[in-house]
Amino acid sequence: MDFEPDYSKYTLIELLDASVSIDPKKYPERAKRLDDEIARRTSAALEENTQVPEQPPELRLEFRGSAREYFRIWIVNLCLTLLTLGIFSAWAKVRKKRYLYSHTILGDTPFQYLARPIPILKGRVIAAVGFLAYYASTHFITSLLPYVLGAGLIGAPWVIVRSAAFKARYSAFRNMTLHFDGGYLGAAKVLYAWGVIPVIVIGMMFNWPGKPVIVGIASAIFGLSYPWWIRRLKKFIVEHTSYGGKKGTFSATGGQFFNIYFISGLIILAVVIPSGALAAILFASTKKAWLSTYLFATPLYAGYVLAFAYLRAHSGNLVWNHTRLGPLYFQSALRSGDLLKLYVTNALAIVVSVGLLIPWAVMRTIKYRADHTWVMQEGDLSEFQGSDMTAVAAVGAETIDFFDVDLSL
Amino acid sequence: MITIEGQYFDGRQPISVQARMDFEDQEVTLTAGSFSERYATLDLKVSPRIGLTNRFITLPTGGQLACADQAFLNSLPQESPSEGPVAWLEERWGIALACVAVIFCTLLAAYFFGLPAAAERIAARIPIQTEQSLGRQALTWLDQKGWFKPTNLDFDRRKIITEGFDGLRADLPLRDYYRLEFRSSAFLGPNALAFPGGIIVITDDMVKSAETTEEVLSVLAHEIGHVELRHTMRSVLQNSVVAVAAAAVTSDAASLSVAVAGLPTLLAKTKYSRGFEAAADDYAFRLLKQKGYSPAAFASMMERLSKKYEKETSAFTYISTHPLTAERVQRARDAAVK
Repeated sequence: MDFEPDYSKYTLIELLDASVSIDPKKYPERAKRLDDEIARRTSAALEENTQVPEQPPELRLEFRGSAREYFRIWIVNLCLTLLTLGIFSAWAKVRKKRYLYSHTILGDTPFQYLARPIPILKGRVIAAVGFLAYYASTHFITSLLPYVLGAGLIGAPWVIVRSAAFKARYSAFRNMTLHFDGGYLGAAKVLYAWGVIPVIVIGMMFNWPGKPVIVGIASAIFGLSYPWWIRRLKKFIVEHTSYGGKKGTFSATGGQFFNIYFISGLIILAVVIPSGALAAILFASTKKAWLSTYLFATPLYAGYVLAFAYLRAHSGNLVWNHTRLGPLYFQSALRSGDLLKLYVTNALAIVVSVGLLIPWAVMRTIKYRADHTWVMQEGDLSEFQGSDMTAVAAVGAETIDFFDVDLSL
Repeated sequence: MITIEGQYFDGRQPISVQARMDFEDQEVTLTAGSFSERYATLDLKVSPRIGLTNRFITLPTGGQLACADQAFLNSLPQESPSEGPVAWLEERWGIALACVAVIFCTLLAAYFFGLPAAAERIAARIPIQTEQSLGRQALTWLDQKGWFKPTNLDFDRRKIITEGFDGLRADLPLRDYYRLEFRSSAFLGPNALAFPGGIIVITDDMVKSAETTEEVLSVLAHEIGHVELRHTMRSVLQNSVVAVAAAAVTSDAASLSVAVAGLPTLLAKTKYSRGFEAAADDYAFRLLKQKGYSPAAFASMMERLSKKYEKETSAFTYISTHPLTAERVQRARDAAVK
């Protein structure tokens, strides 16, 4: 009796069993088919195994803030801020941030905002003094302007580093805080990219804007290098921020940023040129300045908002999709059309409600962001290792030190 | 004995462990899987209540328990006791509505009465010399950029106007700071401007539009009103306070919509500048009558300018920066009759 067994119906165990018991000299063809079948099965099983980590678990990100709840928090804190002539604003910031953080929920655990009001108040006093100095030197004591600008130039990297460090230190997730270790020199190197900005500021000090050639060259260089400059700033912040000992990595390129800024620029041009031409024709035929002004200003503003929505959506996606933090990576799918709708409806609602719908607008904007961002996990969360530096308990216990200021406003 | 269920985080790894806390008299026991610890209740720290979200109990060992909000947590030591009363206020709709009323009343009262009155008093205490360098710089800049050209008026005409102007300012508090400048400007048309620090510029077109010297002086009296009432300083003070207040109110919305933050500031500026124009008019009418001129000259000047430039296209005429209304002319006539 000579039947051909259908090996494809055997289990892997039965196949192995058969391959051991078969006599390859007597049935060479059958033995070969058996070996082929085993090889096919094992490679398929291997493939299946390697496919599993390709679909990593997702840490669900959601925003559960409610506009009604946030409205009460917002209005009470605004009222107290006005009645205390602004002093309460630091306490108000803490309350509002606490609400926003604790209703942002990642993997079923809310974020925590731990900052204290006094460092925030200190930061605001410093900012107010700086602003007053700038205002006075541009409006009244103009001879002071070079010194104020010089001080701003020296102070700017410090502001960037301190505000990033403050934000990181007082943001916690699962009883571990973020940490920012960027230094003044590093920030200065990034901020004063290729010396372009100091040259512009020093130029303002010595009134170079009087010379159009220098202004033209400086603004052309600055405009073209701006996307690369933005990339360096983002990279600096991301790569100096760590969570549980893991530093962020940032892989977006300057070219990618350039494309986004370039297209936003094209959007504005595409609106400005036709509407400008139309306004000019209308002005020439009717001589009504106000009509052509409105006719030009309205599409110009619309074009600006459109370009702004495009820029926000695409640069937001670019930054998040190229950021990794240890085993975590992010997917962001903001859409320009959605953001445009969001901005326009928010603005209308806020104007019509005399500002009372601001909390509602804040809630739906954050919800949109959270709904279009995914946090993917590739590996184990235990890769994040907490230390004394990241302990939440240390934040509350520490005495407020002089340099602990929030300059982010 | 009270028991709280929640998620335990040890602060070493971001991994949650189901846990429970049993409260006895002065002591509390934390049980998370096979792990168990005892603490004094007084060493715990509870995060402030906010909305209906989870609260966090920080343990003396550095661990943390996240649990749902419940009234019992308020009896434990608080991480930030001062936030308790604020949280209490935030939970009540009645208080939220009262806050809306308080905010609107405060903002409106400050906007219509408090701020203008405060700015007037503060401006009166700041010497006008602080504005002088700014005014000189602005004039130099306009001269250099070609917005202003030298005047083409003959010397006699200028002399008559200058003498009249000197008569107007002779016994005013700020008399020593005035400087009258003549300029021609194709761009500004018939115009007169008060610069910070007491410089007043009148354009050739404005002088030529006038039929009498009295009409020219009526326009200059209006500009003197701006200087004497310290409108530059007051508008700087008022507008910056409005800008700060608008930024405070809309700070949450600023990142959402660029349009929102600028709007209240723009509206406030327009409102205040109209108020300043009316005040300068009233000042001018009093000054003119005191010096033996008639405010009716101002009315006829305004009417002539508005007729002449009604059909013109330039957005920078005297009319557009000083909106002429029938009311303004009427007030000048009323002042002349009184």
